[in-house]
Amino acid sequence: MRNPFSDFRILPYQKREIPLERIVRAKEDVMDKIVGGYLRLVEDEVKDLVWLVEHSRVVKAYSAAVKGIRDLQYDVDDIEEFCAELDSSSRIPYMISGPAGIYVSALVNHAQEDRIVLRLREYQRTFHFLGYRLPEGKVLILQGDVGDFIGAGLSGGRLVVEGSAGNWCGAGMMKGEILVTEHAGQSTGEWMRGGEIHVDGRIRSVGKTLFGGKIYQRGKVLAPQDLSGEI
Amino acid sequence: MRETVQGIYDYIAENLYLSRPDVEVKGRQLSTALLISLLTGLRQGKQLIIGEPGLGKTTSAEYVCALLYRFPLGIIWGSEVSGHPEQTEEKIIGRPDLGRLNLGEEVVVWSHFTLLPVKIVDEINRLPETKQSMILDGVDRGNWGYLNDSIINDEYCLFATANYQDKGTNTIIAPLIDRFDVMVESKHPGANLAYLIGMRGPDGSTLRDERLEQEFLQVLNERIPYNVKMERVERLCDEFGEALARKAGVPTLSRSGRAAIRSDMDGIPFDLDANAFLRMILAELSFCHRYGQKRSHEGCQEGCHFTGYLCGAVRNCISNRFPITVRNFSQALAWFLGDEKVDLEHLLAVLPYTLAHRLQWKDEATAQREKESRADPLAIYMAKQAVKEMHRRYMEQGPLVKNALAVACRILEGEALEPIVGDHPIYREILLDLGKEAS
Repeated sequence: MRNPFSDFRILPYQKREIPLERIVRAKEDVMDKIVGGYLRLVEDEVKDLVWLVEHSRVVKAYSAAVKGIRDLQYDVDDIEEFCAELDSSSRIPYMISGPAGIYVSALVNHAQEDRIVLRLREYQRTFHFLGYRLPEGKVLILQGDVGDFIGAGLSGGRLVVEGSAGNWCGAGMMKGEILVTEHAGQSTGEWMRGGEIHVDGRIRSVGKTLFGGKIYQRGKVLAPQDLSGEI
Repeated sequence: MRETVQGIYDYIAENLYLSRPDVEVKGRQLSTALLISLLTGLRQGKQLIIGEPGLGKTTSAEYVCALLYRFPLGIIWGSEVSGHPEQTEEKIIGRPDLGRLNLGEEVVVWSHFTLLPVKIVDEINRLPETKQSMILDGVDRGNWGYLNDSIINDEYCLFATANYQDKGTNTIIAPLIDRFDVMVESKHPGANLAYLIGMRGPDGSTLRDERLEQEFLQVLNERIPYNVKMERVERLCDEFGEALARKAGVPTLSRSGRAAIRSDMDGIPFDLDANAFLRMILAELSFCHRYGQKRSHEGCQEGCHFTGYLCGAVRNCISNRFPITVRNFSQALAWFLGDEKVDLEHLLAVLPYTLAHRLQWKDEATAQREKESRADPLAIYMAKQAVKEMHRRYMEQGPLVKNALAVACRILEGEALEPIVGDHPIYREILLDLGKEAS
């Protein structure tokens, strides 16, 4: 049969695409970049699949994470999806808890949204270091139990844990507020310099060295001691 | 040659057929009745001219024929077929040469109507349908037969006039009316131009030449072979052309000039928008989601998804003569205006006149429109509205339709692509051509 459309051969064409496909493709593109950034971080920062929590390594990992996501356009849905990828996807061959949490924190801190909710209850894995260096003006709500070093180095933001936090919650925080609706683990508020930690449940132990800030358990001040004495 | 044709248009518009310009194409104000008549003459078309009695239906055709084909008015008048119920094949086409018949020879004397390239039928709807059919059959191919003889016109055009329906008229049945390329109305020129016409009277004297008319008659009535006769006629036409240039100062076209113009017109391409728009129109006027294509005796299904398109408002399926007409007339218009391609504006200008007589509207569609304020007869008005509506849809969907056609082209050439789908009959038609949907 003669091609009845041959007049239009000269016309450049666009493939059929429904808007949803375009959106999905854009999302996948963003997710590929986020995952790629994380894998580079792990390769650069984690040697022999061992990562020790040292102040200098945490700072370096965070700087590397920020550098990796600097030019990315993403939103809170992408962060949540990345958490899901960390939890169960085969795209991420190894999930090293520390760098993963630092990377998620970098994503949260540089997201366009000021209020971010992460639904962590559905995940099998425990996330550490979430809320690291959360800046002023940001509110991060973590729904579900979380791991260690939550809100470490908090820098003025408000971190809400709707569940329990692990050890070293608020370690080295500068300012801002952490609210834990259930319990907190050992060394809560270790090396904190400012801000407040409110735990509605039980605090297993308060950090031995506090440079400032306040820690409340069920509304009562636990630290500093002199203030608790007054109350 | 374009200047010559434009000169003929201007001469008729200013001296012979005074009418209000009623269309603007490419910034030029034109009278559609005159413009379309001129294009019909150039394009060897068939035109139906409707209008009230005495408003210049026949005379406008006579003037156009006289100037485009270089025939004196007297010869054109003598070749016209007038529509009345007693009209016979012998008066229209030809008759036996009675003298020769008495000698036992069967020789046909062809009518001037058959011989001349310009054919005017006055009040065609007063002819019985059989005679209408006879004329239109002949004009379809330029082939005229009588007894065992026949002649073939190499060049011809037909102008038929029709009054609005009254007791004395027959209908022009749909298969016959479809053979007309275009339908226009010869309108009242308005009180002021009518006053001028009244004061000045018809000024067709420049188109008369009694000496030449006698010579034309002599040649036409000679018993010589058709080809020889037409060569002599052509020489007389050239002579009349020279006389016209002298008397009226209006240059005219020779036969070879007209052929060259037609050849130029044939070479004018459609741009992709005009191409896609015409496909959209054809889809709307031929598509039926339920029954595969429009058929006059099959109605639409209630609640059909495509109710809003023209396929839901008309009864019949558009014929294949329609795209041929559109191509011919839009190319002719583009040539007349000096444009290199047929574009949407050319199409929009000619479409209403190529569609008006071909669309059989459903009663409800007619009822919706007939009381609306308008400046055209209902058929032309409804065609104009339909074209406007389709053009609006094209402006909304044009890029998508062109993309769908481009993708379809690649698919047919073997590329693994998915056809573009959308909400217009054209997308369904594309799918059918790609064999993607059962017809």
